[in-house]
Amino acid sequence: MFEVFRGAARALVRSALFAGLSLPSILAPVSSPAGAAEGPDLAFSWPLNAGPLNPHLYSPNQMFAQSMVYEPLVRYRADGTVVPWLAASWDVSEGGRVYTFALREGVTFSNGEPFDAAAAKANFDAILANRSRHAWLELANQIVSAKVAGPHLLRLTLKDAYYPVLQELALPRPFRFVAPSQFVEGGTKDGIVAPIGTGPWVLSETSLGERDVFVRNEAYWGDRPAYASVTVKVIPDPNTRAIAFETGEIDLIYGTDGPVSPDTFERFRSMGERAGIAAALSEPLESRVLALNTNRGATRDLAVRRAINHAVDKDTMIATVLYGTQRRADTLFAPNVPYADIGLAPYPYDLEEARRLLEEAGWTASGDGGIREKDGARLSIELCFVGTDAVAKSMAEIVQADLRRVGIEVLLTGEEESSIYARQRDGRFGMIFNRTWGAPYDPHAFVSSMRLPSHADYQAQLGLADKAEIDAMIGRALVSTDEAARQEIYRDLLTRLHDQAVYLPLTYVTAIAVARKEVGPVPFGAMSSEIPFDRLAPAAD
Amino acid sequence: MAGFILRRVLLLLPMLLGASLVVFLMLRLGPSDPAMDYLRLSKVPPTPQALEDARMMLGLDRPIMTQYLDWLGKAVRLDFGTSYATRRPVLPDLLHFLPATLQLAGVALALTIGLSVPLGIWAARYRERWPDHLVRLIAFIGVSMPNFWLGFLLVLLFSVHLGWLPAMGRGGLAHLVMPALAISFMSLAINARLLRASMLEAAGQPHVRYARLRGLPERRVEHAHVLRNAWLPVITAMGMHVGEMIGGTLIIESIFGWPGVGRYAVSAILNRDYPVIQCFTLAMVAIFMLCNLVVDIVYALADPRIRLSAEGVE
Repeated sequence: MFEVFRGAARALVRSALFAGLSLPSILAPVSSPAGAAEGPDLAFSWPLNAGPLNPHLYSPNQMFAQSMVYEPLVRYRADGTVVPWLAASWDVSEGGRVYTFALREGVTFSNGEPFDAAAAKANFDAILANRSRHAWLELANQIVSAKVAGPHLLRLTLKDAYYPVLQELALPRPFRFVAPSQFVEGGTKDGIVAPIGTGPWVLSETSLGERDVFVRNEAYWGDRPAYASVTVKVIPDPNTRAIAFETGEIDLIYGTDGPVSPDTFERFRSMGERAGIAAALSEPLESRVLALNTNRGATRDLAVRRAINHAVDKDTMIATVLYGTQRRADTLFAPNVPYADIGLAPYPYDLEEARRLLEEAGWTASGDGGIREKDGARLSIELCFVGTDAVAKSMAEIVQADLRRVGIEVLLTGEEESSIYARQRDGRFGMIFNRTWGAPYDPHAFVSSMRLPSHADYQAQLGLADKAEIDAMIGRALVSTDEAARQEIYRDLLTRLHDQAVYLPLTYVTAIAVARKEVGPVPFGAMSSEIPFDRLAPAAD
Repeated sequence: MAGFILRRVLLLLPMLLGASLVVFLMLRLGPSDPAMDYLRLSKVPPTPQALEDARMMLGLDRPIMTQYLDWLGKAVRLDFGTSYATRRPVLPDLLHFLPATLQLAGVALALTIGLSVPLGIWAARYRERWPDHLVRLIAFIGVSMPNFWLGFLLVLLFSVHLGWLPAMGRGGLAHLVMPALAISFMSLAINARLLRASMLEAAGQPHVRYARLRGLPERRVEHAHVLRNAWLPVITAMGMHVGEMIGGTLIIESIFGWPGVGRYAVSAILNRDYPVIQCFTLAMVAIFMLCNLVVDIVYALADPRIRLSAEGVE
């Protein structure tokens, strides 16, 4: 019987020898992928494969990859403006209901098919054939028809004058264009043949669970990307991603949803120049806030809501929990959000002011642990968060400790995600975490949702005396065709919400980018779902 | 013997059925909502309408028993449904990832056997001397250290600091070394100690003392009389280790970016991707039971006493 072991031992020795012999090959640098075009390759990573890359469907299609292959009629810029893209120009009818787009001429799909009004119309028809899937997006409900008005003229007719048409056309999905020859059964809702778009990149190779390789579209109508290919390795684990970066398996870390943990980002940032690493934060992309319920419990009192706004030390929270990876938020929307730069005065961190407001409102400190009371009611507020969200939990604990210092008791309720959403829908919360939707949805789509009872914002605002008026203002803003009037409506709306302290703005979420020096400077996309690979260029040296 | 094997194989079926029901119910009786996860993955705001549509699309709007019977009816025809997250059929993807996992688990098993047996013999031979203490120390570290932590330490040393081995991905032997060692370390530590204890026990038996009295060479006593008896408990433990190794790939594959079933399952668990979790769990149950069956058969072959009692001979 020992023969078995002797055999195993021999095999082990053999494999050990083999390992020794193959050491040089182990030490050789990682080679570039096969089949790539001439030029440098950029190695990136993502938690999942890119998916079938149907431009008109959702998960498992990854938005960053859809944005690489497919393009919109117009493009959203970081400053909130919309610029021509596949549409060279456009006309809006008097009533704001008919949009006529002059499509850029000479654009072809990556298989050589022309991109013209017929192709664009076919795509709109395919999207609208699956309208219920896109119902969450107001534009999908607004479009009545897409018509060919000339070889390169596309006409969209809407139900109402809905001003954010261009912002929503700029989204990564669904209003982008695949070659009509790739439709399945005359449409895209049951899949596509192959991902053929007009964009700067072409999907060249997919290996399930391992990688996707995109090569430069050599026939691209716009500026040619400097990188010849982008290899996207499938790495689900943030720690593994950090190690892959350190060992040179990937060149770039980029994203908003924690591509690496905040402390890892901080480590890379402190390694900095001497290690040849550049780590950067984008401008604010969306806001993380606590919605304060004006319709329930102690937060019905404006003085309490204002005191909360004065009593939370956000700078310390960002420095400790988030390692400085997000920015302090003083207002619901960051000033870089369209219509939101209206000079609202922040509620500064000021414990004395918080205490004064509470005293004035009749909340007096009692003997019982210093928690204030008014008319026999204890100043106690329930703060709800998703229990598995470690960052939210830490932030909630800091809020709890900070408010305790001014005599407010905070009860933490960590629950399943679906339970938290249920609370948002029916208003069972004192304070609850909430996020704005980011560009290009902010502010229009986010404020629009404030009118729906199923949203935390609606529930939180329900106690305001002017809630009905606020909802009417939002409706007016969305269909207003006069820019100045719209700005005035937003100013009034955002000022009311700020003065009423309906929210405790906590942080502005940013995208992070960590790259080796050789990758060159990394610009940020205007939307969190866009990664500007086409604007990356290897460093000169 | 054939009857014994047949009985055991037939017993697998009701056990698999029971396991499938338990897994199915446990997933669905939890408070989580996969429709919510689907919308989160899709980056679609979870409005009540969107949630309802997602539930309908994923078939979650029907009663649990209907869902189970529907699933079971398809599963017996080897159709395990479509992943919520990838919208791809589950079984072909699982089979796509399986060879990588079997390769990793196979190498880990070879490492376990190849290292634990010599270490165990060595420790038993030099009982209470430094080789024994060394093996004890290795065993102590092995059972105390979680495999993922060992994985990260190996990466830190061999990939980040020394740059000798690739930190992630699947490729040649170099890619296999660290993940296989991380998975097998605990098993090999336990096995070495087990073999040592079992050898020492066998060495005290009268027939071994008699063999020594007969003046047989020490090596022959060790091989023919001690080891032959000592390796029975090790076989039993091995059956458990094979299952542990395939289970161990769950975390280790995620750490080493190894494109196997384990990583597929971890992503599915994080996304609450029910069809994948069900298929993976059932596959694990089946593998565990098969391993135990193989162990029992090997056991019977190795020890005539067990074989004869299984065949009803007194």
